[in-house]
Amino acid sequence: MTTVRPRILAVGTSNPPDYYSQQDILDLFRVANPMVRSMFQASHIDGRHLVLPEPGEDGIPREDQENLLRKHRKWSLKLAHEAISKALEQKGLKTSDIDYLCCITSTGMMLPGLTAMFIKHLGFRVNCHRTDVVGMGCNAGLNGLNPTANWCAANPGRNALMVCCEVNSALYVYDDTMATGVVNSLFGDGCAAVLLRAESADEELIPSIVDFYSHIIPDAWGAMRYDWATEHGKFSFYLDRDVPYVLGIHAETPIDGLLGRNGLKRRDIDHWIVHSGGKKVIDAIKYNIGITEHDVRHTVGILKQFGNLGSGSFLFSYQRLVQEGKIKAGDRAVMMTMGPGSTIETALLHW
Amino acid sequence: MYETLKFEESGDIARLTLVRDRINMAMVRELTAVCDHLEDESASKVLVIQGHEGRFCHGIDFAEFRPDQPMDIHGFNKWEKICARIEKLPKAIIALVDGACQGGGAQLMLVADAVIVSPKVAIQFNEVHLGFLPGMATFRLAKNVGLGHAKRLIMQCPVIDAEEAVSLGLCSTIADDLEAALSATVEAFGPIHNVAVTLARRLLNESFSTSFENAIGNFLAAQHRAIHQTPFLDTIRKHQD
Repeated sequence: MTTVRPRILAVGTSNPPDYYSQQDILDLFRVANPMVRSMFQASHIDGRHLVLPEPGEDGIPREDQENLLRKHRKWSLKLAHEAISKALEQKGLKTSDIDYLCCITSTGMMLPGLTAMFIKHLGFRVNCHRTDVVGMGCNAGLNGLNPTANWCAANPGRNALMVCCEVNSALYVYDDTMATGVVNSLFGDGCAAVLLRAESADEELIPSIVDFYSHIIPDAWGAMRYDWATEHGKFSFYLDRDVPYVLGIHAETPIDGLLGRNGLKRRDIDHWIVHSGGKKVIDAIKYNIGITEHDVRHTVGILKQFGNLGSGSFLFSYQRLVQEGKIKAGDRAVMMTMGPGSTIETALLHW
Repeated sequence: MYETLKFEESGDIARLTLVRDRINMAMVRELTAVCDHLEDESASKVLVIQGHEGRFCHGIDFAEFRPDQPMDIHGFNKWEKICARIEKLPKAIIALVDGACQGGGAQLMLVADAVIVSPKVAIQFNEVHLGFLPGMATFRLAKNVGLGHAKRLIMQCPVIDAEEAVSLGLCSTIADDLEAALSATVEAFGPIHNVAVTLARRLLNESFSTSFENAIGNFLAAQHRAIHQTPFLDTIRKHQD
């Protein structure tokens, strides 16, 4: 009989149907700046699922902030519906079986939040407990997983669902500068839903969530942030060029903290589930905590196929790891997400 | 403490002696324990790997295999894992090779950063003649000596003497007095900043299998780590005013 612990029972993912290669985006937005073009043409992203409007009168797709917010709302519901259904059907559950719902987004401001919208439209019970994590960026999946797992630990046998829903195409600002080019070349749309429950796991290969460890770098407070771009009348995401290095140099601190207090060494970790932040971010993590290209194969693979999916990226990698079928009983994994703050969040899993 | 190995540390130098001539699973387990120590506790800057009683190592112990039992590939995997782990240790790794250095012994020699041989050395990747493969020497050797030489060494299994080992680049130094040559090599490594040494080795080992585009990203990530360590900060402090 294994201990009753919060466990990850199932993950479901979804993306909007339209897929754009990097070249498609350059053509669609008629990108002329050669530096921006060369950034799109780097080989680490093949393409991304995005929701883009029809081109306007000048041939370029354009949306104002109102339409971007509307798009975020509409596609969050569509994507979440699909991802939630895929996760729940693996365990034969319905949305009405969920007792705690945690929703995460940073790509659109809304009030009431995603949890209220999903309860209205997707069949959750009106007495479902809920938390909305808004505006915490790419690391937010682990900021949400922490209270969700804790709720499970306090309520064994009851079902909790976390949904990371990012419509990054609702953040498009196009002006042919490098600043927006970096952002426009990197982020894709996608949603991941993860089902948690505290139970014992006697037969199935189901990981328990053992611990979390956080680290924030206040000196890099402004390295990733939303600015209001008055000339565009939109929020614009700013990504400092030193972000990969700042995250890299601090990566050891939370990893050593997480492993140290659990009596583990890095060599005891069988799987690394790292957020697909971008090529340079992944390189910085690899060389600073001494993990291999093989360790980040799913992180790199998800980046290549989908781009940076924000808060749900690490769950896409987790899903690939599980589908690969190499996990053995007793294996341990570290989940690691990085984002604004600047923040590094980590979690320890044990099968 | 160990049955198949001897391990001693003195000053900056950790010395690992292959007491058992043939590599068996007990030796792999003991090498794992040595690596645990070297990663977790050791303050040594250099790891010396050496043989015993006039030989380096004759390779795998076939006595642990049974023809009437299913062949087990996992033991080979364990051997590769320990070689890869030694190759990543945050030390300068020097192999002192005297006498026979065959099979798994030659494979182990390849993970060293520097190889010093005696004039009596006889290096041989003899696995293919015995009907199996020389482990990941199939991957490492071509990088060390080039594909043409590697094919000859692995497929024809010649015995390589000291002079040829130097001319192929398999080793750096031939010395009658291995200890004196070791001191000179340690001297040549200089201060041995473990982060710089480990990152330089990793980038070099990756250089044949990475595109330039990937490699430069890797280099910048590694360089950023290096320039934030004490040794580089000390270097630039010395050059102020």
